[in-house]
Parts: sequence; structure tokens; C-alpha cells
Amino acid sequence: MSPSFVAARPAEVLEADRGPRWAADAHDARLASATLRLSGLHCAGCAASVEAALRSDAAVRDVSVSHASQSARVRFDSQRTNLNALLQVVRSAGYGAALDEADAARELRRSESRLALWRAFVAAFCGMQVMMLALPGYVAEAGDIAPDLTRLLDWGAWLLTVPVLLFSAAPFFSGAWRSLQVRRIGMDVPVALGISVAFIASSGAALNPAGPFGHEVYFDSLTMFISFLLIGRWIEMRMRHWAAEALEAATGVMPQTALRLGADGLSEAVPIDQLRVSDILRIAVGEAFPADGVVIEGRSHVDESLLSGESKPVPKLPGMSVIGGSINLGAPVMMRVERCGADTRYEAIVGLMRDAATQRPASARWADRWAGPFLWTVLLLAGLGALVWSFIDPQRAVWVAVSVLVVTCPCALSLATPSALLAAAQALARRGVLLRRIDALEPLAAMQRLFLDKTGTLTTQRPRLARIERLPVCADLTEPELLRLAASLGAWSHHPLSMALCEAAPPDRRAQAWRDVREQAGAGVEAIDVLGQRWRLGNARWVLGAAGVVALLRVGDSADVDSANVDSANVDSANVDSANVDSANVDSADVDSADVDSADVFSGESPRASAAQGVRVSLGREGAVLAHFIFDETLADGVAQALAALRADGIALTLLSGDAPARVQRLARRLEIDATQAIGGATPERKLLEIEAAQARGESVGMIGDGVNDAPVLARADVSLAMGEGALLARASADAVIVSNRLADVVQARAMAKRTLRVIAQNIAWAATYNAVCVPLALFGLLPPWAAGLGMAASSLLVVGNSLRLQHALPSPRTSGTSA
Amino acid sequence: MDILYLLIPLSVFAMFGVLGIFAWALHAGQFDDLEREGARALFDPEQGSIGTSTEKLPPCH
Repeated sequence: MSPSFVAARPAEVLEADRGPRWAADAHDARLASATLRLSGLHCAGCAASVEAALRSDAAVRDVSVSHASQSARVRFDSQRTNLNALLQVVRSAGYGAALDEADAARELRRSESRLALWRAFVAAFCGMQVMMLALPGYVAEAGDIAPDLTRLLDWGAWLLTVPVLLFSAAPFFSGAWRSLQVRRIGMDVPVALGISVAFIASSGAALNPAGPFGHEVYFDSLTMFISFLLIGRWIEMRMRHWAAEALEAATGVMPQTALRLGADGLSEAVPIDQLRVSDILRIAVGEAFPADGVVIEGRSHVDESLLSGESKPVPKLPGMSVIGGSINLGAPVMMRVERCGADTRYEAIVGLMRDAATQRPASARWADRWAGPFLWTVLLLAGLGALVWSFIDPQRAVWVAVSVLVVTCPCALSLATPSALLAAAQALARRGVLLRRIDALEPLAAMQRLFLDKTGTLTTQRPRLARIERLPVCADLTEPELLRLAASLGAWSHHPLSMALCEAAPPDRRAQAWRDVREQAGAGVEAIDVLGQRWRLGNARWVLGAAGVVALLRVGDSADVDSANVDSANVDSANVDSANVDSANVDSADVDSADVDSADVFSGESPRASAAQGVRVSLGREGAVLAHFIFDETLADGVAQALAALRADGIALTLLSGDAPARVQRLARRLEIDATQAIGGATPERKLLEIEAAQARGESVGMIGDGVNDAPVLARADVSLAMGEGALLARASADAVIVSNRLADVVQARAMAKRTLRVIAQNIAWAATYNAVCVPLALFGLLPPWAAGLGMAASSLLVVGNSLRLQHALPSPRTSGTSA
Repeated sequence: MDILYLLIPLSVFAMFGVLGIFAWALHAGQFDDLEREGARALFDPEQGSIGTSTEKLPPCH
């Protein structure tokens, strides 16, 4: 399809820091490594198929496919093949492939995960071996083992503990150091303190059994509890990574390559991370815009559902700006790049999502506040215990202090809440609800009133053909034939209404031969049939104009008329100032400062009329309208049941939509929502007022909307959700995105949120009880350090295990065909 | 029991050997994709994928 980007401008590629990474190997072949994002891997066997397919290419040196992250890392000889060829190899194997952009983040996660696992492993295995060496000490009677052997055992254990301390426990020391530097007590401080005291005391005991530290060594409990702490942290990290990966996969696939026009007029395909500002790109029909920019040539309409949530196409003329990720529907255009890469809105949204994945939830911040006093208390008690015991039995003083430090489980405050929230987020993500802000679970559980948007939330994006109005002038065609003709003509267009026509057409329609098919943005599609007659499908006014009538619209200086044709037959000569021009009332005299809404012009209806009748498309032949097709919005599946479930859960529902009031009232009646709670024609300001009024009444408010359009409204609500059909990128300001598009999942999310809060309360209660019981035991010298270590580890595991229960808390969806 | 004087240091060295092997496995990426490793038992070594036929497999759906 395009010249290889490798061969095109090697110098540019090498100096750019983006794109595949290059290295020279021993035979001076240029080895590039790249990460491909794969799609269609439904099972682990598919991953192996892709690997086999890539390996079969002789230029590929090394391949590893990860099923978990749906990506493939490839190292190939860049002089014998290129990235496009490799993508083709994967595609011909039957899977989707594209250059991976989240490479850097994924790399980071991978190295982070590996390091954490490495540390945990070192601690655990060394700990196991140390326990083996400590066992004789527990089992033997006094005097059974020769003192030499005892010393050997102790030193062996010491040698194995050193790597654990220096390497595995390093995060605790650095964390403790960091918190001390800001003069605050962090969770790591008592852990680090306990570890160091235990190690120093045990080393002293090993060195000099008759000395002040006694002869007992506790390397086994030391390594054991370090390993349990690290395993707990690794589990937590895995959950965090899982959430991040789910979010990344959800941000959709931006186009990976773009056709750039060079100065010589030739186009080449470049990966989008090599685009620069003021590049000229050619965008074909059906392709997505790879960057933010401005149209410089061509007239088209684009699907900006990524931003607006509405799939009605927006016409674009030269000079108008386009957004990266929106889809070009009408005609090929040329655009100039204005913002690319990290500056595009897409990247901004992705960055937001990534931040959301790493932020600390509010409850954890609460826990941090309590941690300070708690930890100071612990340190104080440990010191006090040591002091008291140094008078009673000096040999045990150190060990009492160590026991106190070790037994106090920081798990309650550091692990309990985040692990529960993360497990809940993971379970919800599997179900199809992505939490952008993890601590949105708490307000979700407390929600009392839910504001619902209409389009896209309750109704599907796609209209449905409701009925056909055949006009009397059409005598030779029956309604099915009209539908067939309209569908075959509409098949040439991507407009949602024509796609709805195609859906409604009977499946056995013969292909109608059309020639000279042209689509006019904002008006409709026209073609000439085998008999030479000109047919038009679209706006009624435009269909009438097929006979060749020319529009006589004189446009004032500041008018903003889009590309629709205005039929002069319905035009008289009054003045229209600053009004929304309704196609039925268009005048041919001066039009000043008027905005013609393209979508309404296409459908030929004023907002008032369409509220009553639904959206209308006309089919005409040679200037005579033959039929009108009326479309209705369909209610999404399961909406009624979901709303009933929400009502049963005790949530008050309010419909809040910018759509026409009559339509909104109709929908409210269908859904059994009280008429006073159905507000139509609401501007974003009005919506904001409604939400603020509800909050002033003391209600906890949630809102389901379509994301960016209602950004301030969503930000104001206590918890905000967005449905995820199509472009998830737009849902930047919602706290949660319902990817599965099932409203019923809101009910599930709420149930999950309540469970999570219960689990968190259980965790904290357990930790409080445990500490309240065990610290006095340790102070009285009844808890040897090994028992303290065991207790602390068991407590951590109990908390994490309790949180992990949440992963299986949701029932699997019963509807088939939707991915969870 | 004198053999213990040999065995205990030997066990320490064996431990370091185990750590070295794990380090190799970790950095070779064996722990990156635990789900796929679990399913590897089902793979046909010739094909590299699940199934016994020698024809090219259609994409799984």
C-alpha cells in the first residue's frame, strides 16, 4: 500500500527518538526492536500462532508474544524487512496488529513487576533456607548440638540473611528514609526499624553468644516476615498493573500510520509518532484522523462521537479544525497537523487515565493521616518496653522491643484499603465498568439520586426505521421496493441514518446498479440509476432540488451557512437576523449571522418538527419526493429493568437531557419516570443548576452522561459515570466508564461498591483487634519475635485474602455476546 | 555429625545457585505472562498451538 517507511528516510528515522529502537549486532546488521499491539487473541493458543507466524519470517531474530498484555515484542533485521511487512504477516495469520504506543508504560510496568518479584523470591527462598538452618535450634534439647555446630548454623543463617536485608528489604529502608526526610512517619519506618534492630541484635548474638544480645538468633523470623511483606506488595502491584493495562486497552486504537505528503507531492506512510507539526496529511474516507489539525483541502463530514457522543456527522470545510481520533466519513481531505503526539487531546486523555491508575485513593490518604499517631505510639511503646525490661531482664529487652515493632501490622493502614479497592476495580473492569478514579467507589455506594442523560445512555446511538410514508405521487413503487432502493443508495454513505436504512432493508435485496454516486455533506447522497434518472436520498429540500433548481440565497457578511442546498422554491423575501434557520422557512433575501444546523438540514426537520415526528429522510427521483422514511430512537437493551433495579435499590432517578422536551417526556413515560423528574431542553448550565440544587438538598448525586460534552456537570456530581459505546477516549471527566454499555452494570457497580466498603471495614476492624491484642502480649514478653513475625505475616495475608474475595463477588453477565 | 560441617556451607552455596537460576528465568521473561505458560501444556510442539491438525488454524472466535 505504501513505500516502506524504513527505506524512505533513514536519516530522519535514526535521528528521531521515536519508533522502533535500533541497535547494531555483531554482524553489523541493523536490528530493530518494536512492540506490536495485537488484537483477536482469544486464547493462549492464538498467542503461539502469532509467534509461529512471525518466526517464520527469516528476518525476524526474536519474537515473544504476551497473551496477557496482547502484545508482541519483535526484533528483526531492519534491512531485510520492515514494520509494515511484519504487521502484514500477523494480519495474514488472521489477527490484528498495529504498532504499540503504550510501549514505554508497559516497559516500565514490566521492569517494576520483575524487580518486585525478584525481591520477593530472594526473600522467600533465602527465608526458607534460613528456617531449615534454624530448625535444629528449635527441636534440639539444650546441649544436644555441639556449640561449634550451633555457631555454624547461626553464621550460615546470617550469610543467607544478608542478601535479603540488603536487596529485598531495600524498599523499606529507602521508604523509611524518605519519610524521615520529610519529617513524617511512614509505614516503612517501624518495619525498617524492626528489621534493623532484629538484624543487629541477631548478628550480635551470633558473634558473641555470651554477650548482651543473648544467644538466640532470629534470622528466620526476620526473613520470613520480610518475604511476606514483599509478597503482599507484589500482589498489590499486580493488581495495580492489571488495572492500568485494562485502562490502556480501553483507550482504543488510534490510527497507527498516516499518509504524509512530502514536498515533492509523493505520499508516504509514516507511523504517527513520527508526525510533526505542519505536516500535510491525506486522510481517506473511513480513516481516522491521526492528529489534531486543520483541513486545508476537501469537504467532508466527520464522525466526532469521540468528543460529542453523537454519531451525527459534523461537516468540515477547509479552514475548520479536526480532532485526532475522529473518523472521516464524506470524502478524502488533506489536513495540516497542528498538534501531534503528546499534545493531542487523545494523549491528554490517556495521560489522565494513567494518572488515575496511579493515584492514591482518598481512603488511603485518610489512613495515612492516622498512620502517623499510630506509628509514634508503637515506637514509644517499643522504647518503653525495652526500657522496662532492661531493668527486669536485660537480655530480653531488645527482643521485646523487636517483637513490639514487628507485631504491629501496618497492613491495616497501608494494605487493607488499597488492596480491597484494587480488587474491586479489577472485578469491575472484568465486568465492563472501568474505574478511572478508584475512590469513586465510596460515593457510588452512598449515592441517593441519579441523573441520567438520554442519548447514548438510555437510547442507542443508532436510529431505527419506524415507518415509511409513501407519497401519493409515487404510484409505481411499493413500500418494500422503496425501502430497497433507499437502502441500496444509502449503502454508499456512512451516515447513521443510511446505515439504519440498510439494517431495515429486507435481506434479499438485489443489488441496484448506481452510477455517478455522490455524497453531499449535510444534504444526502445522490446517484443515477440504469434508466438515467437522478435519485436523491436525504434532506427533503435537497431532494426537491434534484430537478436542477438553483438556490437563490444571498448571504450577508457574517453568515455561517453550511454546504446544504437551499431550495429556492420555498423562499420568500423577508429578513432573517440571528436566528436558527429552519429549512422550511428559509428566505432568499439577506441572511445575517444565521447558523444552519447541518444535521437538521440533512434530515429536513426543524427541532420542533422532529420532536413530534422523529427524524426524517426523503427519497426522491428527478426532483419529486417519493417517500419519507421516519426514524425513531431505540431504547437500549435492558434499560427498563436496570432502572427498575436502581429504583428498588432506593435511588431516585431524574432524566436530564438537552434533547427536545417532548421527546424527553415521551421517554420518561416509557420508563415510568415521574414527569417532574424528566427535564428536556437542558443546557449544560441548566444541568449544573439541577445538580447543585439536589446537592443543596443534601442528596448525594450521581450522573450518567456522555463525557466531555457535560464535563463541568460530571465533575460537579459526587460520582459520574459514562457509557462507553464507541469512543472511550471522550469519557475523560467521568469517574467510571461503563464499557459494556449495559445500564444494569451500574447496579452491579453499586453492589460491588457496598461490598467493598464492607470488606474495608472488616479489614480495619481485624487490624485494630489484632494490634490491640498482640501489642500488650509483646510488651509483656509473651511473644517471641518468631511468633510476632508469624502473626504479622498471617495478618497481612488475611487482609489481602479478604480483599481478593471481592474479585469473585460479581455474578457473570447473563447476556451473551457482550465481552466482559 | 561431622558431615554437617560440610553440608551447611554447601547448602548456602546451593541457595545462591538457586537464586542464580531464578534470576535467569525471571530475566528471560518466563514470569511475564503467567496465563500463557499455564496453557502451554496443551500446545502441540509442531504447530505451536492447540490442535492436532497440520493445516493452518483459522483465527479463534
